[in-house]
Amino acid sequence: MNSTDDKILKIQNLVKDFPGVRAVNDVSFSIKQNTVHCLVGENGAGKSTLIKILTGAFIRSSGKIILRGDEYEAHNPKEARNRGIATLFQELNVVDELTVEENLTLGIEDSTFGFIRRSTKIKRILETLKEIEPSINPKHKVGRLSVAKKQIIEIAKAAASEAEIIIMDEPTASLSEKEITRLFRIIKDLRKKNVTVIYISHRLDEIFELGDMVTVMRDGKHVETKPVSEVKGRNELIHMMIGKTVFEEYVPRDTASLESLLEADGITNEKLKDISFSVKKGEIIGFYGLVGSGKTELASALFGIDQYKGDFIYKGKKLTGGPSRAINSGIALVPEERRTQGIFPILTIRMNIPAMNMKKITKNHIIRDWLERKAAKEYIEKLNIITQSTEKDVRTLSGGNQQKVVFAKCLFADADLLILDEPTRGVDVGAKSEIYSIVRQLSEAGKSIIVFSSELQEILYSCDRIYLLFDGELKAEMRNGPQIDSKEIINIATGGN
Amino acid sequence: MLNTGKKETSGLTTNNSAHGRISNLSFITLAMLGVLVFVFITASLLVPRFFDIRTMANLLVQQSELIIIGLGVTFIVITGRLDLSVGGVVALAAVLSSYFSQAATRAEFSLASGLGLPYWFAVILTLVCCMCIGAVNAFFIVKMKIASIIVTLGGMSLARGIAMIIARGAQRNVGLPPEFRFLGRFTVVGTINLSVIIMIVLFLIALFVEKKTIFGRRLFLIGANKTAADLSGIKTGKQIAQLYILSSLLAGITGILMASKFCSGNSSIAMGYEFDALVITVLGGTSIQGGFGSVVCAVIGAFILGILSTSANMLGFPPASQLLVRGFVIVIAILAQRYALNKRNV
Repeated sequence: MNSTDDKILKIQNLVKDFPGVRAVNDVSFSIKQNTVHCLVGENGAGKSTLIKILTGAFIRSSGKIILRGDEYEAHNPKEARNRGIATLFQELNVVDELTVEENLTLGIEDSTFGFIRRSTKIKRILETLKEIEPSINPKHKVGRLSVAKKQIIEIAKAAASEAEIIIMDEPTASLSEKEITRLFRIIKDLRKKNVTVIYISHRLDEIFELGDMVTVMRDGKHVETKPVSEVKGRNELIHMMIGKTVFEEYVPRDTASLESLLEADGITNEKLKDISFSVKKGEIIGFYGLVGSGKTELASALFGIDQYKGDFIYKGKKLTGGPSRAINSGIALVPEERRTQGIFPILTIRMNIPAMNMKKITKNHIIRDWLERKAAKEYIEKLNIITQSTEKDVRTLSGGNQQKVVFAKCLFADADLLILDEPTRGVDVGAKSEIYSIVRQLSEAGKSIIVFSSELQEILYSCDRIYLLFDGELKAEMRNGPQIDSKEIINIATGGN
Repeated sequence: MLNTGKKETSGLTTNNSAHGRISNLSFITLAMLGVLVFVFITASLLVPRFFDIRTMANLLVQQSELIIIGLGVTFIVITGRLDLSVGGVVALAAVLSSYFSQAATRAEFSLASGLGLPYWFAVILTLVCCMCIGAVNAFFIVKMKIASIIVTLGGMSLARGIAMIIARGAQRNVGLPPEFRFLGRFTVVGTINLSVIIMIVLFLIALFVEKKTIFGRRLFLIGANKTAADLSGIKTGKQIAQLYILSSLLAGITGILMASKFCSGNSSIAMGYEFDALVITVLGGTSIQGGFGSVVCAVIGAFILGILSTSANMLGFPPASQLLVRGFVIVIAILAQRYALNKRNV
């Protein structure tokens, strides 16, 4: 085969400028037909911008894109789709009020005299959905499905469309292990059907499992494009992404002798079944479980958001009341959904950071600007939040930096117990390792931390003691350490014995 | 403008961002101030006798009542909610303050007979009644979680309805005590009356609360993301309830002042004030989506609207075309704000 022929997409000297920032800086690489081409890089490396140019959301500043030998430029997602490029966005694009079937066929309905007709096209989409996730009933309202299942619907839609290139922007961020396995099978099948997949993920293991080629970007520049088979392990990839090695191995400590901080006794509600556990001062506790295992529900109960039976005894006293009571007694929460629960997107970093403890920026009940600015600067530096100014709206920051703002909020509240619900979801590797090191520093300083996560790596990297949750029940408790068997953990967390 | 003075001092903050050195809010406030100056100059040039101290004074007097209401409405809009009950509450306050203080005769003509309470007591009682309307609004919005637009639309009818029943759809202007006239007749210089003074005092207090207190800061946090505010330990329900009661209190004050000025408790005054208050709020730059705005914006909006109406009147436009011009200007202003902010935040 001619070597120029099998390149379906060629990107040449692509540049995208934003006021003050060159988001994509002279990037050139090619994508081979019928491959899974992975795109990796930290948040802010320029991947999203590059993708948005491909899908028509942004217009490039200069450079060329060649699709199948023809010049390519899209001004909106529809134009991109017409040229054969479909995209699976990170944010869900489903309509809760409609049924699964209606969602899948939205915008592509065939009609006869204005009545919607079930064409073969629709049948094919439904078949694809069934292949990926047989448990979804096409007649059900989408609003009743979990986030993971909503995402699967989107995947089915993109997979069934007659696209030549499908761009997937972190499709597995909220999927369980089982669902991920199914998705990967589908992606591998797509390759056989003459479809090229551009796959973006922060989970590096997925790259090795799925990818044929990988392109690494850093600071808007192209670092390297090579076959995944030639990459020697995660460390090499991480090294290319950030130029330094991260994730120092965590040495769990023996915490048996520490003073107790929190005792949970028989916590029960609609989702949780008689959960009892304990947290000691300065300890990092991990709750591992799949999506839907009750992690968020347990965090919500502890923080006073959800009702429950049973007792949380914190510093010798029973916890009652809602979040404001919890914060006053020294508990802070980094919630699961950063964008809808954690940050105040349209407000500045300066206004976000003190939100949990505004008394600290007042003197005689009056907000003092200097205290507020000092606090903002202090935490921007402490947590290494990348921004030009304290006056930037938080929505303009990258995901990792937004998450650091949420952390700053919690740290500013001077809590003794931090509840972290999926603390690094959608966060790049660099920010991830920074967040882990923040967690460790906090525990060194005597703060206790509870991490709820569906990423086992995360739990193993950061926790002293681990609890396993499955279907609202506490299945096991174990001490972290070299003896730990991740296969056994996954077995328990997926409902095995 | 008070909120433009945010000095950025350290290396971190002076690093020139794409946004320049002032916040989005200061930017919009300054832009609308520019529009106000433009409208003012245009009116001065085109409208005969507009540029006259008496016209200015009248403008100030006319708009001050609207601004008092607009302060409460602005706070509510910043939290991402609406209050459409204020016009009705103004009428209710006007009627109640008359009814409570009218001499208690047993006259045949019942509109002439009230409760005969001392005026100061009538004022307090009226304000308490108005705050009850706010409390009803708050109950349905916070506890029953019904959309504020629906609830306050109901509150509007409730307040106006009670006012109409008590005033029999007309007005109570007989048998009022002499003190009743005092508030409305009191002037400082020329036509500058008590409502202007009260407006200025309340505006300064509101500005301070907005910029310098935790209460004011919470408005923005709730408006920007209510869930995040809840999870940050802010008692959002309590704060929203307080705001509706406050807004009704401000409308009550306005109603008492207006009744005193006209020396009558008329159940059909302040028709459409709820929309005027909303218009000056958004015209000044406060976002109807919440999390963005200032009472400064409401004042600027009030004067832009005031100048337009006054000029149209003085030029002898018929009322129908006045409405048209007004609608046109509002739409243009809001589109321009959107455009400017989008340009700025690319």
